[in-house]
Amino acid sequence: MHARSLPWLLLAPALLATGFLVLLPVADTLWLSLHDVILYRPRSQPFVGLGNYIALLDDADFWESLGHSLVWVVVAVGLQFSLGFTAALLLNRAFPWRGLARALVIVPWALPSVIIGLVWTWMLDFNLGLINTLGLRWGLLDAPVAWLAQPGTAMLAVILAVVWQGFPFFAITLLAGLQGIPKELYEAAEIDGASTFNSFRNVTLPSLAPVIATALLLRMIWVANSLDLILVMTGGGPGTATQTLPLYAFLKAWSGADYGHGSALAVVLAILLLGVVSTYAARANR
Amino acid sequence: MKRRHLLTTAAALAAAPLALAHAQKKTTIRWWYHFDDPASNPAALVADFEKANPDITVQAESIPWGGGADYDNRLYAAIIAGNAPDAAMVKFNNQPRLIEMEALAPLDSYIDGWSGKADIAEDFWRLHRAPDGHRYYLPVQYVVLYLYCRQDWFAKAGLKLPTNFEDFTAAAQALTGADRWGFGLRGGAGGHDHWASLVLGNGAKLSKGGLTSPAALAANKWFIELFTQRKVFPPSAPNDGFVQTINNMKSGRTAMTIHHIGSANDMQAALGDAITAVPVPIGSTGGWSSFGDGSNAVLAQSKSRDAAWKWISYLSTGAANVAFNKLSGQVTVTTSGARDWNVQPARFLAATTASLKMAQVLPPTAQTADFTRTVWPQTTQKALLGQITPDAMMQTFEKLYFG
Amino acid sequence: MKTARRILATDLPVAAILVFALVPWVWMLLTSLRPEAELTRAPVHLFPDVISLANHIELLRRTSFAENLRDSLIVALGAVSLGLLLSLPAAYAFARLRFRGHGALKTGFLMVNMFPVVLLILPLFVLMKSLGLLDTYFALIMGHATFTLPFAIWLMSGYVAAIPPELDEAAMIDGATRLQLFVRVLLPLATPGMVAVGIYLFIASWNEYLFALMLAGRNVRTVTVALQMFIGENEIHWGLLTAAGTLVALPATALFLIAQKHLAAGLTGGAVKG
Repeated sequence: MHARSLPWLLLAPALLATGFLVLLPVADTLWLSLHDVILYRPRSQPFVGLGNYIALLDDADFWESLGHSLVWVVVAVGLQFSLGFTAALLLNRAFPWRGLARALVIVPWALPSVIIGLVWTWMLDFNLGLINTLGLRWGLLDAPVAWLAQPGTAMLAVILAVVWQGFPFFAITLLAGLQGIPKELYEAAEIDGASTFNSFRNVTLPSLAPVIATALLLRMIWVANSLDLILVMTGGGPGTATQTLPLYAFLKAWSGADYGHGSALAVVLAILLLGVVSTYAARANR
Repeated sequence: MKRRHLLTTAAALAAAPLALAHAQKKTTIRWWYHFDDPASNPAALVADFEKANPDITVQAESIPWGGGADYDNRLYAAIIAGNAPDAAMVKFNNQPRLIEMEALAPLDSYIDGWSGKADIAEDFWRLHRAPDGHRYYLPVQYVVLYLYCRQDWFAKAGLKLPTNFEDFTAAAQALTGADRWGFGLRGGAGGHDHWASLVLGNGAKLSKGGLTSPAALAANKWFIELFTQRKVFPPSAPNDGFVQTINNMKSGRTAMTIHHIGSANDMQAALGDAITAVPVPIGSTGGWSSFGDGSNAVLAQSKSRDAAWKWISYLSTGAANVAFNKLSGQVTVTTSGARDWNVQPARFLAATTASLKMAQVLPPTAQTADFTRTVWPQTTQKALLGQITPDAMMQTFEKLYFG
Repeated sequence: MKTARRILATDLPVAAILVFALVPWVWMLLTSLRPEAELTRAPVHLFPDVISLANHIELLRRTSFAENLRDSLIVALGAVSLGLLLSLPAAYAFARLRFRGHGALKTGFLMVNMFPVVLLILPLFVLMKSLGLLDTYFALIMGHATFTLPFAIWLMSGYVAAIPPELDEAAMIDGATRLQLFVRVLLPLATPGMVAVGIYLFIASWNEYLFALMLAGRNVRTVTVALQMFIGENEIHWGLLTAAGTLVALPATALFLIAQKHLAAGLTGGAVKG
């Protein structure tokens, strides 16, 4: 009896807080997504069933933003992970200023998004930006580039900013994971005559795999839902070139005051993410 | 439990005669505001008001602007949750929504019985009347958009400052050259003010069919081609916000741009006498200059409407309104206060008052907020990038406003 | 020779990554030290001609930034404490115990973060209003701790799962209770994970804007909301904003400088058989 109730006892505080603060609002959002909710017409909210969802099928902006979200998530998380993992491996080695280096690497992560967005906008400024200035001075650019005003470079620019913001998360998370690998495993591999690369492949990667998978999954969900950097840097523009799904939902719900439509977009995003997560969970359990 | 209940009842009974004796019970009102300068603090105004009205306490709360969205969203959320302030600074573009939410208290009887009414010009009362005929907004500050010009470059090139669109186009082209552009367009959110001056003042009209008439389409085609063909806007124009357009002007990259007196002191500091301002060009539809409004409103949820009115009407009165606008960086709405206004150099005030006669606002409908935040920037940027035609851009606007 | 190899293989790549990590921050710092007129001078000079602390002085004297830093610190430390308190037991349950609904529940927690928070904020606002918690530290601490809980639980359970179960068995054989096992064996071994999760919780709370804007504001105003005050309708106060931005990154960095040595406090030699 005791053993059976123990897990629930341990989970109770977390479940209670989540149920109360998250499930209630989520249920509310689900409910609103089935209604025609115009923010400034609180008295008239007719039930429309799946109307908001069906409308999405014909909505070209929805499909376009879905495509942008895909690029945004895959490229941003991929680069964040590569850079973060490299940093973690390097910061795990012994060198005299290691403590300082570990602390400094989290600086980008320790800044609020609005600051990051504004600083990168400033650095990418056509006229007064550091990047155009250095690019011209070092001969890398022939003429200043309007980075944020062209569809291709604008996406690149917002991804650059989110990679900068997010790679320290991977660096720290994976660094903590590296600490948990018993030194004996490496010693054993060394005795067996394994090369550095082999012990990385046979010891580091397998031991770190669960942490890597968790960190990737969590970061993917986070990046998929984050919109503040894009909002500050381009507002989804030029045109709709950097409009991702959550940004579209946000603009619909608040600027457009079409809360029902916005909620439906949010629910679709959540379902898509849930699909990815369940696939992951199913594979992890196997 | 029961005992406590008895005690509170007893306390309430005991307090009742006291409350009656002191009919002037102290009232606290909550007021929301936003000033662009974070160091601007209305504490002195509050203290002055409370001295004259010892029965009222004002709790002033500054709310982040966040491109207008943060301020509005917070206000909407507070209204929906029944937690709205008693009074708040508000803008025209959300008035239709606030009226539809029944969130505003009508001010008609307050305004009609107010001694300060005559000190605010009739132009303001005209612009501040809601479509349903009532008055909910009390003007407290304003700006009118005008055209900044590098008069030194104009003189050097032998050009006169533009008053019509032919002169404007010629000057923009003549002053475009190496690392320099004739006009700094704000193509990001908020840039609809530029578009309105250049297109709504030059052939297009905000009425059914008025955005897709031949004259309207021609005006808009000319506007888009200033970028795509004549290249008189900087390449960064599609994403430029007010920071970039102002900085381009200050750093000598652009010859003209549209803004208002709020940036005059900054421009003067950076460029001195090289910069001046004139009203925006006048075209076939008579010229359009965006009226940048700023008002106070009393919220319908307020339980202390009288006290809230006293506070907001104080802020729109003579000396207090002058002090208020020194904090907000805009211009007083009172005639008495304008007489010896010396906050910005005189030529910028002259351009502002000269523009007042063609001051316009976007239609007071619920679509306007969506137009300014999302639809205008996205659609215009697509046209500037050549992803859609200028005509398709106007059709999108026509559809949004007139279905 | 060995040192030279280390410098080439470790010090230099680390330095390269740090340059990438720090250039925007340094650029912000240099901007904050420039007098206003230099900001719009083209072409750009990389280093300021005159160094001026005017922006930093104005920030601390004329705005409420010092108080905002205090509020942010209270909220972030509160969120770290509450977050660890809630996530540690849950992580232990997920990592070590078998029970019905284990997988579904763990995935379920992640659902919390699958909705864009901008669409949950309205119902949350109404909820906090009805509880009378608006504009209190507690509202923000609860909000931040709850919405970071899934991350905290998943990360934490990953670290706990990595601790060899042989240790539990050894302790249980020695007659330790579950609580003793948890406190004496697992807790010390989970320290690196706790540091990583703690840093995550601290930073997430420190940088959070939406809750801080909507659920608080007058009595409790965090730095993210204060920063937003420097971005007006017609003006961005670059000097103040960059001065504040350079300062805002420091507490988390300093905290991690102190905490990072515990990242290595995990397993001691011989604790596990190869």
